[in-house]
Amino acid sequence: MLSRVSSASNLGLETIPVEVEVNLAERGLPAFEIVGLPSKAVDESKERVKTAIVNSGIEFPTRRITVNLAPADVPKEGSFYDLPIAVGILSLTRQCRLPKSSLFFGELSLEGTVRHTKGALLLALCAKERGIKNIFVPEPSANEAAIIEGVNVYPVESLNQLLAYLSGEIELLPAEYREANQAQAPVEAEFDIAEILGQEQAKRAMEISAGGGHNLFMIGSPGAGKTMLARALPGILPLLAERESLEVTKVYSASGRIPPQGSMIKIRPFRAPHHTISPVGLIGGGTNPQPGEVSLAHRGVLFLDEFNEFPRSVLEALRQPMEDGHLTISRSRKRASFPSRFMLIASANPCPCGYLYHPGKPCLCSQREIEKYRKRVSGPILDRIDLHVEVPVVDVKEFSHEQEVKKSAELSSQIRMRVVKAREMQRERFIKEGIHTNAEMKNKQIKKYCSLSKEVRQVLLQAMRTFKLSARSYFKMIKVTRTIADLEGSQGITVAHMAEALQYRPKTQNEG
Amino acid sequence: MRKSENLRTARRGEEIAARHLQTKGYRLIEQNYRTRYAEIDLITRYKGILVFVEVRTKRNEQFGSPEETINRNKINKLIKNAQGYMLKKGYNKKYRIDAVCVLLDKNGEAGRISHYENITL
Repeated sequence: MLSRVSSASNLGLETIPVEVEVNLAERGLPAFEIVGLPSKAVDESKERVKTAIVNSGIEFPTRRITVNLAPADVPKEGSFYDLPIAVGILSLTRQCRLPKSSLFFGELSLEGTVRHTKGALLLALCAKERGIKNIFVPEPSANEAAIIEGVNVYPVESLNQLLAYLSGEIELLPAEYREANQAQAPVEAEFDIAEILGQEQAKRAMEISAGGGHNLFMIGSPGAGKTMLARALPGILPLLAERESLEVTKVYSASGRIPPQGSMIKIRPFRAPHHTISPVGLIGGGTNPQPGEVSLAHRGVLFLDEFNEFPRSVLEALRQPMEDGHLTISRSRKRASFPSRFMLIASANPCPCGYLYHPGKPCLCSQREIEKYRKRVSGPILDRIDLHVEVPVVDVKEFSHEQEVKKSAELSSQIRMRVVKAREMQRERFIKEGIHTNAEMKNKQIKKYCSLSKEVRQVLLQAMRTFKLSARSYFKMIKVTRTIADLEGSQGITVAHMAEALQYRPKTQNEG
Repeated sequence: MRKSENLRTARRGEEIAARHLQTKGYRLIEQNYRTRYAEIDLITRYKGILVFVEVRTKRNEQFGSPEETINRNKINKLIKNAQGYMLKKGYNKKYRIDAVCVLLDKNGEAGRISHYENITL
């Protein structure tokens, strides 16, 4: 007796269909074997399936059971084969017909209930692409899968419930997508940007950075407020647009970071890994490739505090994902691609003691020490960062009239309104280009959308010569200028916009 | 439980198994065939195939089912014994190894008899 159950296996963000064949042999001693390169987690599913069936009050067949996971030469990972295997066995002993064009997916508990399983969204996407009508997923993962329209997502609570449905005893309604309540709520950052004293230039740089998805490098003495500024950033970021949201949710679904009953991710991710992170932790990797911090920060913020303290190998690994917006992790057996379009916010001290540009405190570092410290971050990395800003020490005078300053300072919500407007302009501009922000523009798109008048071009060329900017910086300056204009709601680019952008140019070491 | 009681259980199970197989049309050739090293519970013939039968008997399933007591090691031993027997008798045609699991009730009667064909599959 043979039964076939369809399922699918996720590798990175891709999904391949897997056929689960279950055979109950007439001969031979009772046994339970899984073939088709199962990993440990898949092989252990034997015990979960057996116990779950018994604990559901169903007799487990004392027959020789052979399970084949086809294609047999692809290694199988994960715990979601439990449900298709159990369904295959029970369809043979209970003689129930399996619905056509359906995928089964889910991890069983020993009790016979079905657990939240990672990757349900990717399964639904795969079903849609291949024209499969129904998918059976764990009830806690059903909402996540129901994001995809055009596929019937059946929420499975337990083996008994599924069996009752398959034998026609009860009705099962496809899950309807519900948005979680907190998804619509405004973003709560740790601080409101108005709480930060002074730092007008840095705040403006944050606004530009948020407005066009630009990378930002902050340099300043300890305690000046670099970390606070970065932590306040989520408060001025707009929510994710529909398309962006799906991209982010896919990455989080693949890595099992969506909670039970979870819905689309609307809030931009903010990732702040510690500087002891390994290259694989940042970029992603593993025998079974997993997304790293750069992919988890997709469409959001990757905040690297104490930028100079990160190992050089880690920082250099950032280059390609920053440039391309996606990366492919290749290992001997498997490869996977992940998106990595993030805003890099980096902060660092100017020298090891931290007081190089401090007006009051003397710097204790030797020239050699300072040079060594600076060299930890390579030029190519700094060249890829659009905005460079200094965060000076807060003047003591600001503290004395703290209350007045706070009142006059702009609130995060006010800044966000400008940012949202600028992003809206960009969305309309790039609707046919497949990109979302100014920072993503390629040279061709820059030429198309950022026409510079003669005077503006003159200013830029003059700056190029004086500050010895690279060709890459030339285009980066134009992108930043475009964002500054967008924040003002202006279609054209003026000299004033360009002049402001030039303030945030990369500063060479001699310049300070 | 003393040793002799285990043996009695086993002999009782073998009798039940032999009778069960005979009603199925198996012809009994040997019962408790002993070599210097081991014992083959039942040797039968069915449709021209020589069938060696290992009988497992239990009084209750408190300590596991009779099926669970047949492991890979035991199966390898059964194959060796069967081959030894065939070598001695000069038999070189088809053969098969079966298992019969018998669960006895309180009165020493058969509660459940399960016959597994070709366990070396």
